[in-house]
Amino acid sequence: MDDRPLSYPLEGTRAWGKSLAGLRSEKAKGLALSAPATVYVGFLVAAPLVILVAYSLWTQTYVSIDRTLTLANYREALTDPLVRHLMIRSILIAAAVTLATVALAYPIAYFIALKAQRKTLWLLLITIPFWSSYLLRVFAWKLILGFNGVMNSALLGVGLISDPLTFLLYNEFSVVLTLAHAWAPFAILPIYVSLQKIDPSLLEAANDLGSGKVQQFLRVTLPLTIPGIIAACLIIFIPTVGDYVTPSLVGGSDGKMIANLIQVQFGAANNWPLGATLSLLAMMSVGFVAILFVLSATGLGRRIR
Amino acid sequence: MTETNIIQLQGIEKRFGKFVAVSDLSLDLREGEFFSLLGPSGCGKTTALRMIAGFQEPTEGKVLIDGQDMEGMPANKRPTNMVFQSYAIFPHLNVGNNVAYGLRNRGISKSEIDTRVKEALEMVELGGLEARGANELSGGQRQRVALARALVMRPKVLLLDEPLSALDKKLREQMQFEMRHLQQSLGITFVMVTHDQYEAMTMSDRIGVMFDGRLVQVDTPQTLYAKPGSREVASFIGEMNFLPAEVTAETGDTFSISTPGFGAMKIEANPNVARHGRHISVGIRPEQLEIARHKPDGYDGTVQGVVRDVAFYGENVHYHVGVEGLDKPIAASVPNYFHTVDHAPGDKVWLGVQAASVIDLGEDKQTS
Ligand SMILES: Nc1ncnc2c1ncn2[C@@H]1O[C@H](COP(=O)(O)OP(=O)(O)OP(=O)(O)O)[C@@H](O)[C@H]1O
Ligand SMILES: [Mg+2]
Repeated sequence: MDDRPLSYPLEGTRAWGKSLAGLRSEKAKGLALSAPATVYVGFLVAAPLVILVAYSLWTQTYVSIDRTLTLANYREALTDPLVRHLMIRSILIAAAVTLATVALAYPIAYFIALKAQRKTLWLLLITIPFWSSYLLRVFAWKLILGFNGVMNSALLGVGLISDPLTFLLYNEFSVVLTLAHAWAPFAILPIYVSLQKIDPSLLEAANDLGSGKVQQFLRVTLPLTIPGIIAACLIIFIPTVGDYVTPSLVGGSDGKMIANLIQVQFGAANNWPLGATLSLLAMMSVGFVAILFVLSATGLGRRIR
Repeated sequence: MTETNIIQLQGIEKRFGKFVAVSDLSLDLREGEFFSLLGPSGCGKTTALRMIAGFQEPTEGKVLIDGQDMEGMPANKRPTNMVFQSYAIFPHLNVGNNVAYGLRNRGISKSEIDTRVKEALEMVELGGLEARGANELSGGQRQRVALARALVMRPKVLLLDEPLSALDKKLREQMQFEMRHLQQSLGITFVMVTHDQYEAMTMSDRIGVMFDGRLVQVDTPQTLYAKPGSREVASFIGEMNFLPAEVTAETGDTFSISTPGFGAMKIEANPNVARHGRHISVGIRPEQLEIARHKPDGYDGTVQGVVRDVAFYGENVHYHVGVEGLDKPIAASVPNYFHTVDHAPGDKVWLGVQAASVIDLGEDKQTS
């Protein structure tokens, strides 16, 4: 009897296993194991990026695209005051959102990690906002902050104001408020994890060595949670700079951000090359600010003694 | 010698809900002594230490340090410092900054901090390691950093929670001597918690033995070993053979007993045991027994038996000898003088003991 067809697939796997085991260095093994992910990421990140770079070097001529390579788009984007204005505003709004979110999240994470009895229940409660869609949450804020919204009706009803407040919606403030709420769990979780990891005897040691509650927090708890804070900041800051849903729904004209301009280029303005250029510039700015932030935050953390 | 009590524990009790972790603990610690709290796991040693340090408030009773009532005084205001079981080295600080941590809370000038840190590190033989990261230290080095970090504060009392339990045997023995020398040269009161009887005995001036939240005996290592206050203490510290005995006559500090096997003897009363009934329990340390092929001369009590097991420990040899009339074999330990093991299982041997080595343990609660 011929048993070859049966042994084929087995031999195949064995050969694959053998060649994996036979790879000399750890490095080669690592490369082999990460190959599937690398291919996947290559298609979904690298390829679009290459296309984006290509587009940014072309130009739009009314209906068609001129494929001669040029830096004209970059020149235009870098000299246009509107672009600069929107870019700076986007980064400032994102920074404000990050600051507000982390400032709100830290005490919550601190409470859950160090004081609460039922941690799992609290963590579950934190994720409740995620049970409804992001868009719904943004609309909910619109209802709360609007001219005839919940906030104004309540304040009018109580008699604290006589005319509805108009500064609540359609500006930077409403964008920051909405995003801070939306991002809260993303900030709470990494900070919670870093607080949770702190050995309680470290806090006792600080206390034993003469630190009161405040010193104990500033000299031990805070520096040990810096990695968590950095993670939280990056998780929030990076996507916020490029957010366009929230600013277009609650931002009004004062709350517009760079992503809204980019969206226009790919849509109404029909200038893909300029849109691609703006996207790349936004990415670079975000990367630059993020690296600067990580370096200065770790540096500051090291100086705490 | 003028002895002042640096720490006074007055009837302290600690309850966690209904559970009593430490009950009615009264203890005076002398200035400059090395005191150990010894007891099995879970007996409340750490809890007692933490009440002195200020991490926990007693449910009842008072803690006085240097005559001052510590009630409501947080740990950072107490003149004590602690070496934690896990060492609790700050992972984000290097060795120098770990040691300097406490000094920086005191508003001391930078130059003085530097010299004191340097001194402290030299004291624990880690001189020059200031810049080493906290995560780049061996277990023994971490222990030394923890010690330096606490001692640099010049506390009135240093509290140590099982400071050596994370180290291997060799290093542990070396550190026992080093810490003892350090304590003697600094003259600081050390209060150490341990469940290791040898550690407690080699290092301490006095030992307090705890069982189930109660302090059962406080004495010098020698007294604890020679005159334990109860069967519990006797079996926790060192090895002990227990024998039932009957008191036949009592004259002041000595009384006559008769034991199965060893027969009649006249032994000294143990002042640490409370009351004597007619049926008492006596103890004999294994190393106090002579073991021989022929009936040994000059012993107050002798008995014949059969060797059951032999265990060779290197520095000494342990024999378990079955004796008629006793349910448990008697353990005898002999120094390994001539690199020979003289008896084998099944051999008929004689055991001999001096009356002075027979310890009165009071009433035998497990009377047959
Ligand atoms: N915070 C607490 N809440 C409830 N029970 C506690 C608490 N701390 C300690 N206990 C209990 O008190 C008892 C004594 O604990 P303690 O830590 O003092 O023991 P220990 O003698 O130090 O033991 P070990 O040698 O194992 O460290 C234990 O039974 C423990 O479970
Ligand atoms: Mg303990």
